[in-house]
Amino acid sequence: MVKISDLKVGQALKSEFDSLTRDLLKQYAKASGDTNPIHVNDAVAEAAGLKGVIAHGLFSFGFITKLFEDFLEHGKYGKIIEFEVEMRGMVRVGDKLVTEATIEKIAGKRVFFNVKQTSFTNVDIKDKNSTIVKQFEAGERGYISEKDIARGLIKTKEVEEGTLTYRERVATPGTAIIELYD
Amino acid sequence: MSSIEDMKKNAEFLIENLPGKDLPGTAKLSVRYRNLVNFAKCFDITDPKYVGSEEEGVIACHAYANAYTIKSLYTLAPGAKFVQNGEERMLIKNPRMILHAGNKYNWDGCVDVKPGDKLTATAKFGKVWLVEANMMLFVELITKIKNQNNEPVCNVVVTAGIRKGGY
Repeated sequence: MVKISDLKVGQALKSEFDSLTRDLLKQYAKASGDTNPIHVNDAVAEAAGLKGVIAHGLFSFGFITKLFEDFLEHGKYGKIIEFEVEMRGMVRVGDKLVTEATIEKIAGKRVFFNVKQTSFTNVDIKDKNSTIVKQFEAGERGYISEKDIARGLIKTKEVEEGTLTYRERVATPGTAIIELYD
Repeated sequence: MSSIEDMKKNAEFLIENLPGKDLPGTAKLSVRYRNLVNFAKCFDITDPKYVGSEEEGVIACHAYANAYTIKSLYTLAPGAKFVQNGEERMLIKNPRMILHAGNKYNWDGCVDVKPGDKLTATAKFGKVWLVEANMMLFVELITKIKNQNNEPVCNVVVTAGIRKGGY
């Protein structure tokens, strides 16, 4: 049950999605009518200087709306009033999308959120000798740019097979407003 | 590609002439059950409200607004033509230079979208501005979508970025 009296400024909602495949982008292209080939055809995307297909700008938006639909139990406890999103970073096949929404303000029955969707792009895993033991699509196709490195977006962490290098960046920042019934 | 001076002149023309102007025509869209459900399934949505049977009263998930907005603008945008220095021109000179920069969706006072709905979209230009650092021109498209009963289903502001050479 979601009630306005139970919510507090600073409270956060979160979801993760890590099954972004080429087939899913094809499914989205067909369903959305956005059939630009840079989203489904690597050769066309490469010719456009993109090094491989990119997700549709609004594809990842669907996971933001889903986060709130789930939170409101599909209209049982309230309704979605408004979303405003900015497409800032390209999302790629294999990326993990983490969507977070934090309550900024509560006014009457309306709740105002700051939304941040972050993409995590795995590059490779190296062993103790810095030998690549696993390379991901971003490593093979060269998705990581000098700009990413200069901006400090490239990070590492220890995983079972060695040291994972990945890029973490905010792909879609935004805001949301919902209205609760109670 | 045009010179920076030409691009600035084109940008100034668009900044002066576009805001508040209607895009000609309307875009008509039919909402089909299979399309609506397949769209929701892209996001692992399993609630029958959005992926159930037509008889159970399935409705479109909120993200489906992407689908009818994009289809509407693909229909309406090519109709936007202007006369600049005595010559007719399109808004976008090279479609490959368009980037989708942002969207604002508002459902306040709107009704649900259902299979069988016939949607009608109209649009007008909102703010237009140039970021000289990268010569990117931003254009807002204010889009209103209504159903066959003239009820609003969503109001959308799409912000498109047009890279240099595209305007």
